This record gives sequence, C-alpha cells and structure tokens, in this order.
Amino acid sequence: MAIGDFAFLIPLLPALAFVLTFFLGKKLPNGGAIIPIAAIATSFVISLLITLNLLQNPEEVITQSYSWFALFNVGVLVDPLAAVMLTMVTFVSLLIHIYSVGYMSHDRAQSRYFAETALFTASMLSLILSDNILQLFVSWELVGLCSYLLIGFWYQKPSAATAAKKAFLTTRIGDVMFLAGIVLLFADLFTIFNGTIPAGTYILRFDEIFAHIPEIAAINANILGMEVSHITIITLLFFGGAVGKSGQFPLHVWLPDAMEGPTTVSALIHAATMVTAGVYLVARTFPMFIAAPDSLLVVAYLGAFTAIFAATMGIVMNDLKRVLAYSTISQLGYMMLGLGVGAAIGAEAVGVSLFHLINHAFFKALLFLCAGSVIHAVGTHDMRQLGGVAKVMPITALTMIIAAFSLAGFGIPGTSIGFSGFMSKDPIIESAYLFAESSGMWLPYLFSIVAALLTSLYIFRLIFMTFFGKPRTDYGGHESPASMTIPLSILALFALVFGALTRTSFYHFLEETFTNNFVNVDIPALAEMGGYHLAAHAGEEPMLVLWMPLIVAVAGLLIAYLVYGLKIVNMDNLVSRNNPVYKLLYNRYYQNEIFTDFFSVKVIYEGFAFASRSVERGFDWLVNWISDITIETGESVRQFQTGMIQTYATTVVAGVGLLIILIRVIMEVI
Amino acid sequence: MIPVELYIGLAVIIFTIGLYGFMTQRSGIRMLMSVELMLNSANLNLVAFSSYNADLTGQVFALYSIALAACEAAIGFAILMAIFRMKDTINLDSFNVLRW
Amino acid sequence: MMNNEITINPMKILTSVYNFFRPRILGMTVAFLFLAVLMVSVFFTSWPAVDQIPQNLDDPSNIQGIGVMIFTDFVVPFEILSIILLSSLMGAIYMAKGDGSQ
Repeated sequence: MAIGDFAFLIPLLPALAFVLTFFLGKKLPNGGAIIPIAAIATSFVISLLITLNLLQNPEEVITQSYSWFALFNVGVLVDPLAAVMLTMVTFVSLLIHIYSVGYMSHDRAQSRYFAETALFTASMLSLILSDNILQLFVSWELVGLCSYLLIGFWYQKPSAATAAKKAFLTTRIGDVMFLAGIVLLFADLFTIFNGTIPAGTYILRFDEIFAHIPEIAAINANILGMEVSHITIITLLFFGGAVGKSGQFPLHVWLPDAMEGPTTVSALIHAATMVTAGVYLVARTFPMFIAAPDSLLVVAYLGAFTAIFAATMGIVMNDLKRVLAYSTISQLGYMMLGLGVGAAIGAEAVGVSLFHLINHAFFKALLFLCAGSVIHAVGTHDMRQLGGVAKVMPITALTMIIAAFSLAGFGIPGTSIGFSGFMSKDPIIESAYLFAESSGMWLPYLFSIVAALLTSLYIFRLIFMTFFGKPRTDYGGHESPASMTIPLSILALFALVFGALTRTSFYHFLEETFTNNFVNVDIPALAEMGGYHLAAHAGEEPMLVLWMPLIVAVAGLLIAYLVYGLKIVNMDNLVSRNNPVYKLLYNRYYQNEIFTDFFSVKVIYEGFAFASRSVERGFDWLVNWISDITIETGESVRQFQTGMIQTYATTVVAGVGLLIILIRVIMEVI
Repeated sequence: MIPVELYIGLAVIIFTIGLYGFMTQRSGIRMLMSVELMLNSANLNLVAFSSYNADLTGQVFALYSIALAACEAAIGFAILMAIFRMKDTINLDSFNVLRW
Repeated sequence: MMNNEITINPMKILTSVYNFFRPRILGMTVAFLFLAVLMVSVFFTSWPAVDQIPQNLDDPSNIQGIGVMIFTDFVVPFEILSIILLSSLMGAIYMAKGDGSQ
C-alpha cells in the first residue's frame, strides 16, 4: 500500500483527537494534551512521507474521491501545493501544541483548549486536502467556527467575547461572498453541462472547474452597463472570501483583536491554520484568477496596499502582540501581492507566494511563541514597561532576534545566503518589479518597497524596546521551561535556514501543481484569455532592484537602533497627542470610529433598528386590527344567542321555510 | 267529496298556530300546549292519508302517537314542576341558561 | 264625563296596537311566511297516490279494523308503547314529587 492511501487520515486523526480530548481530557494529566500531540505528530509524519514521495515524481498526485450526494463528492487531493501546506500546518501546529503544554499549564480549561486546537488543525487540514470547492467551503466554515471558539477562549472576559464575535462576523462577510461565488460557479457549470451531467462527474471538483474555464469566461454579465465576464465575478467573490479570512483591507479589523485569545492561539491563527486559508484559496484557484481579466490586478493592488497600510500601524503600537498582528496583516498583503503579480510571471507566482507563506508561518509562529514566552514570564505585554529582557531570557531573546531578521528580510541578493524571510520576500518584490515593468503599474512595487522599510522598522523597534536597554519597570522574569524553549529553537532553526536550503527545489516542486495527472492547465493560454502579458523569469533585474529590499531593511534596522537603541532622538516630542500623524496612526486610522462607531452602529444598527421598529409597528397594528375586528364581530354576533328556545325555534322555522323556497325555485329552474 | 288538500291545509293551519304559540309564548304550560297542537296536526295528516288510502296503518299510528304525546306531556309537566320549584316561576324567559 | 270616556284617541290606539305587535312582529312574520310556504306547497302539489282511490263512504266506521290491527300486526309496538308509557309516568311522578319534603 502506498503512503498516499493514508492521506485521508491526516485530517481525521486530529478530528478524532478532538473528540477524545473533549470527553476524556479532564481525566488525563495536562488536559490530555498527549492525544492531539500524538495525532498531529502522526499526521505530520504521514504528510512528510507523502511530500517526500511526491518530490520524486511530482506529476503523480494523490487523488481519492467518494460520492457524497447528487453532484458532489468528498475527496482527497494531494498535489505539490497541498503537500507543502500540509507539512507546514502539521509541523507548526505540532510545535505549538507542544509549546502549549507549558504555556497553558496554569489554565483550568486545558482540555477544552487542546480539544479546540485539535479541531482547528483538523479543519484546516481538511480544507487543504479538499479536492472540490464545496468540501473546501465546509472546512473553511469550520475553521471560522474554531477561530471563534479559540479567540473567545477566555469568554469570561468581555473583551475576549467581543473580539470573538467581531472575528466571526467580519470573516462571515467574506464567507458569504465566497459562498455566492460557489453558487454562481455551480450555476455556470450546470449551464455548460446543459443540465445533463454524466454519472461519476462531480462538477465542483477542481479538475472539472479548471477544464471548463474557457466556457465560464465566455459567459458575460451586464453590470451597470459594463460587460463583465462571469469568471471575473466568481474570482472576485472568491477573493472576497480570502480577504475576510486572510485579513486583507478592509476586512482586517478582526485580526488585531484576535489577540484576546491565548498567545498560542494567536500563533496558530497567524502562522498555520487560519489566515493562510485565504492565500491558499487564491493559490488553489489560481488558474481561474489568471483567466479572469482584472482579477489579479485587484489582488495585487489590494495586497500591496494592505502590506503598507498595516505596516504603518505596526510602528506605533505599544502592545507586543498587536505589533505582531499588524505584521501578519502586512505579510499576508505580501502573499496576496505575490499571487497578484502572477499577471506578469504566470504560474510561478503560486510558488513565490506559497514560499513566503511557509517561511512566514515559521518565523511568525516563532515570533508569537517568543512573545508568549515573554508574556508568560513577565506578565505584561506593554512594551513600554519592558526592556532588557534579553538578560533574563537569553534563549527567547536569541530566537526572537532570528525571527526578526527573518521577517525584515536580511540576506545577500543573488546568492543562497540569507534568512528564510529574505529568500521568500525578495522574489515577491522582484516579481512586483517585473509586473511594474511589463504593465507600467508601479504602485504595487513602490508600496512593497516602503512596506519592507516599515517592516524592518517596527520589528526592530519591538526588539530594542523589549530585549535591550534598561528595564523600565520591576518585573520578575525567568527563562521558560524546556517544553517551551525547544519548539522555539526548532522554529528558529527553520527561520534561519529553511529558505536558503529549499528555495530552488520548492519553486520547481510547485510548478507541477497545475500540470499533473489530476489537472493539466495551460497557464500561458489562460493568461492570454485574461489579457495578461507574461514576462521573462525573475533574476534579470538591474542591480539596484536586486539590492533595494536589503537596503531598506538595513535602513529600518539603523533607524530603529538610533531611535530606540541609542535614543538620539527624543521620542516624547514625536509621540504625543499633538502630532497629527502619530495620532492618526495610533488611533489606527480611526478604523474603529469609521467601521464600528459610524458604519456599524450609526448606519447599519440604527438603520436596522428603525426598519425593524417600523415593521414591528406595522405588525402590531395589523395584529391589533385583526383582534379588534374579531372581538367586535363576536360582540355583535353573540346577541343572536339569546338562550331562549323560542328564538331558536323561530330561527329554525325561518331556515326551513327558506330552504323550501330555495328548493322550489331550483326545481322550477330545472 | 272533500279533497285531501283541505285536510292537509287544516293540518298546516293548526301546525302554524302551534308554531306561532311556541315562538311567542313565555309560559312553559302554554308552550307545551302549542307543542301538542303541532303534534296533533301531524296526527291529522296521518289519519287523512290513511283514510284516503284505505289503509288503517296510519290511523293505528295516530293512536300510538297520541299515547306518546301523553308521555311527553307528563314528562314536560314534571319538568315544569321541577323548574317551578327551583325558580318559583314557569316563565321560561328567565330560564335562559343556554345563553352566552 | 261620558264624553271623556268614549273619546277615541287614534294615536293611543295606534300606540297600543304597535305595543301589541312589536314583541310579536318577528314571530308573526315568520309564522305567516311559513304558513304561506306550506300552503303553496300543499295546494300546488298533485297527490297522485290518493286521487284515484275512492273513499268507502258506505261504512265510515273502522274502529273494529283498528282494534284488529293493533292486536295482530302491531302488537309488539303496542306492548313496547305500554312499557314506555309506564316508565315515563313513573319518571314524571318521580320528578314532580321532588325530594319528598313537601
């Protein structure tokens, strides 16, 4: 039996662990943490073996498919794209679970925590493995549910409950769009098949969808007088779902609030299981995106804008975890940009973007776990109260600095020397340059460069404020236990060398995603259909372009060192309520005011309240009217019931007389 | 020879008189008397048809129904007495418990 | 004095007539209409079953026939009738007698 036959076990084992932990966890030590750890470890081993197998012959992807009902199936698809995601998710999730044993040791609801994280992992794995878009959507919703449960893990805190609600409702907007896209896609495919679908054909499976892209593209809709291809609408709706899940502007508002959960949950959400789902969705349906005119441009612009938009806010946050949250949004913007520039470099964009996703998962999980380690030891996450933590927690500090260098993207262009983040972020920026060159749209490239500068600035600000200098307040800290530092070290190792080691083979591997025995898509032909002009491959840019990301990263480091390390500038003048820029940034562009206070409360809430009040009044009036009429009728009609036999007899006789007359008349007529 | 319609017409008139009495009177005894009138108009019909058909069955049944009317009258007056004992009146207007 | 007693006040008569009829107007109307309907039915219906058969005017007495029929053809209803009569009288006496205090 080939190892691929066990692929279905990958999501099933954590799901089983969820059930077991949920019911038995309280009786076991550490809240039954051993069950999900063992299950996810097994899943990790299976995924790793499958990935290694797939590396040998990438065309032979693993597919299993079972009929579910009518036109839908449940199935497993492990192609290179899914394989790397699987391995990454199981690996990061495994490390986070091990780390959580130490981190959550003081919490009474440990078993609930481990059960929910196991379900979270299981649903994400099922999302990755889906071979049809419906199953993917179901898992997608499960992921959303688990994020709700975990963000609101400490539901006794009102802020956590609110954050959970916010996350759920915000992603719901995206989910609805995603569902609308699926429905539209289904309707189109149904039309294309003319309603007669041969047995054994599941029209929502990816191979069927990809095979019919040209037909879908041929269907046009008329929106506001413009001819829009259905494929553009579908892909934009899908992208709407990805925007919600992956925290892109303007649906990113839930991500910073998601910090209300345990730090490990933040790590899980930000690194492995949730926010990458949106990027994965776009990568998975990339052939549709590239065949859709303008869709990829939207993806590129929105991604680049999100990257710079979130980075500016990251600079002024004082909360350790919030800085990381905005960093995640910014990096997700990079991933979307990486996919969006597929308009210039074709299917290679999937590899570029996914590579950043994987590396980001490593160093972002590391950053979060380090932050969690600091918070666990010190008990505060306000950076203004920290400082000099490196002396107390050397391992944590070292690993976090590695992660910071990785995030900022340090490395030497043109060689294989560099942190993982450099290895993956650099190609995205280069691709953005190619995209700008071929299409003449320079804005995404400029955004990505400025965002790289800001990235370096905010992460080193965090490092300097937290780990160096003198302690600003008294805190008793200690290095974390081994169950926490060992995952940190492993992740640090990956953040250090993973990018450099796997870069070329990774791209090569992912190129097979859309040409194998399951799907065989002619990407250049589809790009032609979408009206994109594919440029040459990366690596032939001017020297300045190659070195630009490094230059801005070093610049960010220097600025952060000068300002926060040596304190040559008195920040008190800048950081004040009187500085309008600072005020704008610190208040997060007044998003809360705009989205919540104005849009949600004033427009939607008040609007609905008014509408429902009017409707209610209408219904009240109707109900009262009916009851009044009934009562009045009864009051008048009951006068007939006198209770006297004489009256009844009179009525009966009158009735009989009328009946006789009636019968006679009828007889006459007949 | 008297046509049968006249007998029936007489029965109808008696019946209507009884009906009118039943509908308008309040005293229980008067109402019972009206009921007797209606009953006997039916008996008259029976006898008339029996006679015109040369079949005695109708007349026999007229006798039977007179006997039944006696039963009915006995029960009716007994009920009226019970009502009288309860309410000190046999005016059935004040006895409208069937009312809403 | 005498003149006063025989003074005819048409208004008063009308009022008394009206007062006499007012509570009975419904019953009278219905009864009259019912009578009309029945009369129309009786006199505009042909009675074929009785028209052809002549009456036996020679022997108007049929008491004997009735007695024979009661005790031959209809003896069972007769017996049942006697029981009903008896029981109804017993019931009537029971009800009319009351609780025995009087």
